[in-house]
Amino acid sequence: MEKILEVKNLTKKFKHIAVNNISFDVEKGNVYGLLGPNGSGKSTTFGMLLSTINPTSGSWKWFGKDGTDTETLKKIGAIIEQPNFYPYLSAEKNLQIVAEIKGVSEKRIDEVLDIVNLLARKKDAFRTYSLGMKQRLAIASALLADPEVLILDEPTNGLDPEGIIQIREIISKIAKSGTTIIVASHLLDEIEKICSHVIVLKQGTAIYSGSVDAMSNTKGFFELKADDMSQLISALESFGIFSSIKEHDNLIVAQISEDISASELNRKLFDKGIALAHLQKKKESLETQFLELVKQNNL
Amino acid sequence: MIRLLKLEYLKNLNYNPFRIFTLLYFLVLTLLLFIGLVDFDLAGLKVNLKEQGMYNFPGIWNFTTYIVGLLKIFLGCIIVFSICQEFSNRMFKQNIIDGLSREEFIASKLLTILVFTIFSTLLVFVIALVLGKTYSDTQDSELIFKEIYFIFNYFLKLFTFFTFLMFLSVLFRKSIFVFLGFFMLWFAEGIFSGIEKFTLLKNVAQKDKARVMLEHHFISDYLPLESMSSLIPNPLVRTKMAQMIGMDFKFEYPVSSVIACAVWSLIFIGGSYLILKKKDW
Repeated sequence: MEKILEVKNLTKKFKHIAVNNISFDVEKGNVYGLLGPNGSGKSTTFGMLLSTINPTSGSWKWFGKDGTDTETLKKIGAIIEQPNFYPYLSAEKNLQIVAEIKGVSEKRIDEVLDIVNLLARKKDAFRTYSLGMKQRLAIASALLADPEVLILDEPTNGLDPEGIIQIREIISKIAKSGTTIIVASHLLDEIEKICSHVIVLKQGTAIYSGSVDAMSNTKGFFELKADDMSQLISALESFGIFSSIKEHDNLIVAQISEDISASELNRKLFDKGIALAHLQKKKESLETQFLELVKQNNL
Repeated sequence: MIRLLKLEYLKNLNYNPFRIFTLLYFLVLTLLLFIGLVDFDLAGLKVNLKEQGMYNFPGIWNFTTYIVGLLKIFLGCIIVFSICQEFSNRMFKQNIIDGLSREEFIASKLLTILVFTIFSTLLVFVIALVLGKTYSDTQDSELIFKEIYFIFNYFLKLFTFFTFLMFLSVLFRKSIFVFLGFFMLWFAEGIFSGIEKFTLLKNVAQKDKARVMLEHHFISDYLPLESMSSLIPNPLVRTKMAQMIGMDFKFEYPVSSVIACAVWSLIFIGGSYLILKKKDW
């Protein structure tokens, strides 16, 4: 796999340590989530990778080239924290400035404005835009130079549900076109919906880096329900393939230790004379996995 | 370079304070050059600067550049607003992320400064030349361009002043602090100069004081605002009125001030660049 970005031992100290010795790789074509609570160093990491913050130590390579120069930046589309534009200029004029900096044709402006549904408002001053429109304009601006990588820092921060859905749809459309995306968020379901890989930050330290599926080492769990709950519990215990069996909200939650399919389990229970009223095999949500990770790595 | 000029054009031309101040500046500048044609009433005394020799070659270069030099704060406001809004709107950071280098950012601001400075200088030169041709008592071709260096000094004075304001804008990033910083330096220079002169003259006999004041090179003469103001001396002593009461106009070309200004400009440009480079945005 072609590596878009390789980060090695990146560290930033302000008065405190904001980013502590983190390393990760980003491969082409994947959607990466940079996950972590507020203040865990996500924006600082992006700041260093985008050359706005000077690192204390460590190194990185974009497209196999050391550091971040202006040529590299022109290949990256980035939205940082909040949409930044000249408030007194129209969307069109603002994008003209970006086009001029990035050295792309102004013909692209209408194309990207169309992608984010702002073509009709292109002559209006940026300051008259709603937050959702501002955020969409920021995405348009990031897409202007047909970037190889898209960096999104909290792209849905402060948006209403409709705005969140719009942004999410735009992002998944871009992801499908094969653009590598790195998205930072503290909204876990957000990441879960769009990312294939995650990097989990906690107090500046990367506590996990890899695919979403491999994040949790558990094999998932079953939710079950039957008329005779105690009979069900003893039957499940007799199989010896569950690490724990608990009753929770009128459901039995059985953690899997040896993998078994739902239909197989159903057949086994039926053989024991138990008819199930409810059976579902589930993976832990990213949220549970994340919280578990954070708990394990309590520094 | 064309790219950077176009960027500045896009950024500034639709910025209202920018447009209004630019328009006002060039309007007032042009009007002020014609001030010699107006009669003033100074405590019952009728004063007309044209009659006082304002438009006579070669003094005209001194008079005009000195008078319009007072207007530079207007243009300074434009430059301060234009640079500070880059920071207050977080556009400097965004420009960097979009792929503008810090060098290009400084260069684009310097280009704006140069465009303004060159345009002001040309305007003053042309209008003063026309006024001199029309109203000067002498039309001796040797005298016409004898003190033309004031036009160059005017250019340098504006350029140094604007790079100074650019530096303050990059340093403080808020226009209100830029103006505060500017006035602070103004007072600081005055106080420093006062202290320096006082300590030197304390031990000098009364009769030698004037000579020492004239001959001694004070450190405070090389401070930014002082060296800028020495580039163009106050032409009041050149008026006929002042000459009549026996005031003597003595002026040597201020080579050391020219050098000081050039050095300060370089320091301000370099300093601005270092701040952009070293700070985390």
